[in-house]
Amino acid sequence: MSDTPVLKVENLNVEFATFGGAVRAVRGVSYEVYEGKTLAVVGESGCGKSVTVQTIMGLIPCPPGKVTAGSAKLCGRELLTLSKEELNKIRGAEIGMIFQDPMTSLNPTMKIGDQIAETLVVHRGMSRREGLTEARRLLDRTRIPEAAERARQYPFEFSGGMLQRVMIAMSLACKPKLLIADEPTTALDVTIQAQVLELMREIQREDGMSIILITHDLAVVARMADDVAVMYAGEVVESGPVDEIFYRGSHPYTLGLQQAMPDARHDAGRQLDAIPGSPPDLFAPPSGCGYHPRCPHAMQVCTKASPASFEISPGHQASCWLNHADAPRPETAASPVGSAQE
Amino acid sequence: MISYIAKRLLSGLVTVWFIATATFLGMHAVPGDPLLNDKAVTPEVRASLEAAYGLDKPLPQQYVIYLSNMLQGDFGISFTQKNRRVNDIIRDHFPVSAMLGLLALTIAALGGITWGAITALYRDRLPDVLIMLLVVFAVSVPSFVFAALGQLVVLKFNQLIGHSVIPVAGWGTFKHMLMPSLVLGLGTMAYLTRLMRSSMLEVADTDYIRTARAKGLSAPRIFFKHQLRNAILPVITVLGPAIAAITTGGFVVELVFAIPGLGRYFVQAVQQLDYTVIMGTTVFYGAFLVFMVIAVDIIYGFVDPRIRVDKVGA
Ligand SMILES: Nc1ncnc2c1ncn2[C@@H]1O[C@H](COP(=O)(O)OP(=O)(O)OP(=O)(O)O)[C@@H](O)[C@H]1O
Ligand SMILES: [Mg+2]
Repeated sequence: MSDTPVLKVENLNVEFATFGGAVRAVRGVSYEVYEGKTLAVVGESGCGKSVTVQTIMGLIPCPPGKVTAGSAKLCGRELLTLSKEELNKIRGAEIGMIFQDPMTSLNPTMKIGDQIAETLVVHRGMSRREGLTEARRLLDRTRIPEAAERARQYPFEFSGGMLQRVMIAMSLACKPKLLIADEPTTALDVTIQAQVLELMREIQREDGMSIILITHDLAVVARMADDVAVMYAGEVVESGPVDEIFYRGSHPYTLGLQQAMPDARHDAGRQLDAIPGSPPDLFAPPSGCGYHPRCPHAMQVCTKASPASFEISPGHQASCWLNHADAPRPETAASPVGSAQE
Repeated sequence: MISYIAKRLLSGLVTVWFIATATFLGMHAVPGDPLLNDKAVTPEVRASLEAAYGLDKPLPQQYVIYLSNMLQGDFGISFTQKNRRVNDIIRDHFPVSAMLGLLALTIAALGGITWGAITALYRDRLPDVLIMLLVVFAVSVPSFVFAALGQLVVLKFNQLIGHSVIPVAGWGTFKHMLMPSLVLGLGTMAYLTRLMRSSMLEVADTDYIRTARAKGLSAPRIFFKHQLRNAILPVITVLGPAIAAITTGGFVVELVFAIPGLGRYFVQAVQQLDYTVIMGTTVFYGAFLVFMVIAVDIIYGFVDPRIRVDKVGA
């Protein structure tokens, strides 16, 4: 953890103006992504995972979206205040992005080869011809058979898994430092999921890029991540190295997530426990800790004050009052590795 | 693709046959006798005409004669214009209507796409509000009002200049075509503007436009290379009906601007109950529209790759 992060997000706040008032979609998110490493971002639907990364990429429609505070630095360079032109030099060149639904994420009336070449033409100043040659090479690299032939086809002639490979080829065309993958395998079937993830890892090993991987699937986290950020209601409630989160998870929400996920290796046939209740209304987030209405260990203080970030062990933080020195210790909470301090 | 085109053409022929039959039955349901009205028709002429068209024979037989003549491309002789064959009327006057219509369609399509794109670009801002107001106006005002207004504008303009720059009516030079084709295309242009606007806004919200932005493409590049082409597709699909609207609209505009197009003869024939001209021009217009719609569909197939390949596979 000594090296400087490739991406450092600090205290990011994003709101959406709606008829019902402001939706506080992201409330003080901070996380870091290190060189050659993968940060997995997990959390329930609607907790702000996508809004956070789309804000970093400048993809939030403004209005209604608005960044009310915070910063996002790529290798020390602030992204949120860049002009459109400067931002366009970074998007696609230094940060690549792939999305959940590959079937709708490519232009239906443009040939695959041209869509990949376009990035190179715009960022690398290549001619269309050079771009197409490079596009074929990239398709080859993402293991699309008959790449030359495929480059001349349109998206609807591909399967979902193949299209996600195309998206990967396209986002990696300019060898970005960071790849943001927003649920890249959710729309794919299980065997294809594994292949696409393996492809991402392989390219990461070869090119040394960093990845932000947004997912609902803890099995994917276990397989891919170096670090994990757990988000709840627009906040990061716990973050740290993947083993810390899995084996010494501290926040009741992290533990709840683990209880709610099937884990074939360890306890087949175990009863899955869904977290009772539903995520809070982001128009008016609850006072104190956002999770307290659903938390089995909620204390009085949880309803009144937002928990500070407690260091559980080096690089492992959790925002939960249970880690305070005065708090009682329920057996499900973290074992007292690092003592709680403010 | 070949078999698809063949299939469409065949179904087009069936449609035309249907139109011909309906026209035939319709005409025979109309009361009146065109030959009676015309005093110049002597009993001899009448007898020979009746023999030629089998007018003295029962309906089914008349129908067979009518169809077989039509199959040979013979629409017969006008009942009211002496010695003029319907074929000649169509040949002399359809090119004028076609020219007017083509110009109107071009104005409507280019205008619709441009205004639609501009309104989408300036969504909810002044240019959008202004153009959409004009669109509502253009869609709801009938074309004969615009025709009269157009003439008035031309007249005032000429008066302002001092001599006649643009003719108020008539036909012959390109200058003659300007105002009538603009008037004729206006309603369709307004309709296409509205369609193009909603299509542009829909495309702007798609995942692939988000991808294009994530690739770091400039706004003009996204607009021209990704948004425009996809947004135009729905506009192309309605060009068939648009051609129909312009064709029928042409009847009125030709009358007001004294343009010697086929539409004028069609209207005139209906007023004078000129059986052969009505039937001939109706079937001709019907066939024209049916095959224009097919042509538009085939062109669409070439523009949209998804359709193109589906049809090759089919
Ligand atoms: N354009 C918008 N206008 C208003 N609210 C929005 C908008 N975009 C997102 N939100 C709100 O922001 C919140 C976070 O959304 P986000 O898409 O980041 O969730 P997510 O964590 O990615 O969920 P999922 O796992 O379902 O993708 C949601 O409550 C959503 O309603
Ligand atoms: Mg999401």
